[in-house]
Amino acid sequence: MEVAKTVSTRAILLGNEAIARGVVEAGCLVAAAYPGTPSSEILPAIAGYADELGAKTVVEWGVNEKVAFEMAVSAAFTGVRSCAVMKQVGLNVAADPFMSAAHFDLRSGMLLICADDPGPHSSQTEQDSRFFAMFAKIPCFDPCDAVEAKAMVFDAFDLSEKHNIITMLRPSVRVDHCRQDVELGDIIARDQGFRFEKDPLRWTCLPAGVKINHPKLNAKNDAIREEFETDYARYNYEVKASGQAKLGVITSGVQFSVVMDILKSWKRNDIDVLKIGTPYPLPVRMVTDFIDRHENVLILEETYPVMEMQLPDRTKVQGRWNKVVPGAGELLPEVVEELLVKVLGGQETVTADANLKAALEELRITPRKPMLCPGCPHRASFFSIRQSLPAAINPSDIGCYTLGINQKGVDAVIDMGASVTISSGFFMAQKASGMDAKPIVATIGDSTFFHMGIPGLVSAVYNRHALVLAILDNGITAMTGGQANPAVGDKLRKGDKGAVVDIEGVCRGCGVSFVKTVKAYDVKAGKDVIKEAWEHAKANQTPAVVIFRHPCMLLRQKQDTIPVRVNHDACVGCKFCINFFNCPGLVFDEAKKKAVIDERFCVSCGVCRNVCPHGAIVSTEGE
Amino acid sequence: MQYVIVGIGGQGILFSSKVLGKIALSRGESVMGSEVHGMAQRGGSVISHFKIGQYKSPLVKAGEADALLAFDQNEAVRNLHFLRNGGSLIVNVHDAAALGNEHLKAYIREHDIRVYPLEGYELLKKHMNGNFLFLNVLIVGAMCGADVGNVSYEEVRNAVRELSPAKFADANMKVLELGYEALKGV
Repeated sequence: MEVAKTVSTRAILLGNEAIARGVVEAGCLVAAAYPGTPSSEILPAIAGYADELGAKTVVEWGVNEKVAFEMAVSAAFTGVRSCAVMKQVGLNVAADPFMSAAHFDLRSGMLLICADDPGPHSSQTEQDSRFFAMFAKIPCFDPCDAVEAKAMVFDAFDLSEKHNIITMLRPSVRVDHCRQDVELGDIIARDQGFRFEKDPLRWTCLPAGVKINHPKLNAKNDAIREEFETDYARYNYEVKASGQAKLGVITSGVQFSVVMDILKSWKRNDIDVLKIGTPYPLPVRMVTDFIDRHENVLILEETYPVMEMQLPDRTKVQGRWNKVVPGAGELLPEVVEELLVKVLGGQETVTADANLKAALEELRITPRKPMLCPGCPHRASFFSIRQSLPAAINPSDIGCYTLGINQKGVDAVIDMGASVTISSGFFMAQKASGMDAKPIVATIGDSTFFHMGIPGLVSAVYNRHALVLAILDNGITAMTGGQANPAVGDKLRKGDKGAVVDIEGVCRGCGVSFVKTVKAYDVKAGKDVIKEAWEHAKANQTPAVVIFRHPCMLLRQKQDTIPVRVNHDACVGCKFCINFFNCPGLVFDEAKKKAVIDERFCVSCGVCRNVCPHGAIVSTEGE
Repeated sequence: MQYVIVGIGGQGILFSSKVLGKIALSRGESVMGSEVHGMAQRGGSVISHFKIGQYKSPLVKAGEADALLAFDQNEAVRNLHFLRNGGSLIVNVHDAAALGNEHLKAYIREHDIRVYPLEGYELLKKHMNGNFLFLNVLIVGAMCGADVGNVSYEEVRNAVRELSPAKFADANMKVLELGYEALKGV
């Protein structure tokens, strides 16, 4: 039994913090996740609020989303409320247990929080997880802002418990990373004791069980759709225009918020808006009735036509089927405004200003692309790898080091862990075509190695694939904001010690016969060991592992500062340093045709002294 | 009030919306904003939207921002279209000559934009030993000095003090004043 604490007050929270607050207030006792933008802030915030409110919630990072999902869902076999948190592509990794457990009659509430990234801003796809909810036949809530997201957490748990089914909360990136004033509440006390009753047909995924559970799952869907029609007026409602409506707009999630602000700014009173917060199973009667009452209807949802495709007849609706609504990209306010103007029969209003366009061109201003931080150890590692074997093919992986593309050290990336398996594929293709083997040197981060790199490595050892895997160990999961991982050993809560899992030991345990570690900043040693590793791999037809180690700059650990300058007598303006080292602190002065240090960004790591083939980058020590 | 805050990942632009949020909350007003996290914030262009008042969407629509706070002048030019006619731009300048571009000046004139340039890097070199991590506080101070953003210096001082970790509290107050004085009465 949880003790309710009275803390009612308002605070400005990130959408993800509001969701986390809801999870704790709703009495969730087991929470697991793997970090991934835009979901990463949720799990640490669950731990924070649980501590603050005195909840005993067990909060842990799984090594990947499949692990996290399985931990969470099985806790819901036992009477304990649980949640799993991931980004949209994380659900691809967790798809197997998700699809299977969707059939189960859970004992307690299980909430899957799956954060989508229309745009995309930080992802390899902009897939719509609402479709995944439909695929698995589980109900989905799509919040329009942080306040609603928090409220939906309670309803999603209750609905889950009412029908013994997994429920999904699908915040899109604009909800995850919105900042809004939110009402804080207390923990809702509930009895939750661990009780696992042996019942093999209920808790095992045997085909015999599916024959019972699939029809049951269909019946649950029918019942929930009916409830969404009538009992969820707080999430599914119509905002009527004060005047005669010329247009009806159907929205899901944050699109409702976007449309309402545009209508406010336009001061228009002739557009009705239907807000749907439960896009699957769609309350079809409610939506059809809205369509029937309007001559002109526009449907706005991100990023796939999930509501649209559930309509029995969509021919009257302007949407994705008739290509009125763009089939890719984020529906930003400017895009939505243009769409509204178009379906109202007006002229497009949003045009780029000629003066501003000319200014951007003349000043050569383009969007600044993401790049590795100044002083980032990965930059040094990529430089060593690239210079050591310039003819090599360089598969890579998901993490900050994908940005090694700027150092020309990244040739192919698919998803988490594929650096090793892409390398295997290239090895197999080279072997099949009877060509002389080009060196293959792949890069992967420490956290990604644990996430999904290990199976590929075992496979490469077993199948005798000659390749080099460089593990870039910066002691952190950096891209997503600095979470600990098995190589670090720290757990989520401060002072909560886990066990350190040693990367070298894991590699040796997988059967790798060459495992060497170098300091990432030591360019010479890095070059030498990569050469040696490839020789070993080629000679023995086996994978070799090199671990490049240096702490992430975001950890702000103390390190030597070596201020540098570019000696313009020696610099020949060849741009080698720009092309292969590509540091924000080292830029090219087009007027002087020389490289220069940009003191706004340089952190004096000193690595670039080893980069210039003409020795033009020198330490200012003693000058 | 609708604010757009732009810069380069790592410059700490989120601090400005935290300050504005704290002030709005103490006034009892509603806020709504949008931030950038993840790969998108790693060294590249970053943008943060912030609205105080009765809004639903976290995003500011182009042509509707009252104030644009730019930690980098290139990002200022790239995002100038967010400002409404008569809006204000606080911009950290590293290359003053570029701001003299004729097309840029024409756009600013046509849209009646008030421009408040701030040589942030020079000020921090001179007064803070070149620690550019203070840029976020400096710009908030400058915004207040220029009387942009509908917040009083007192409110900003209180908010920055509350948001500062103890070991940076004194330095932050010093930088805030530096920014405030730099654009006061301009």
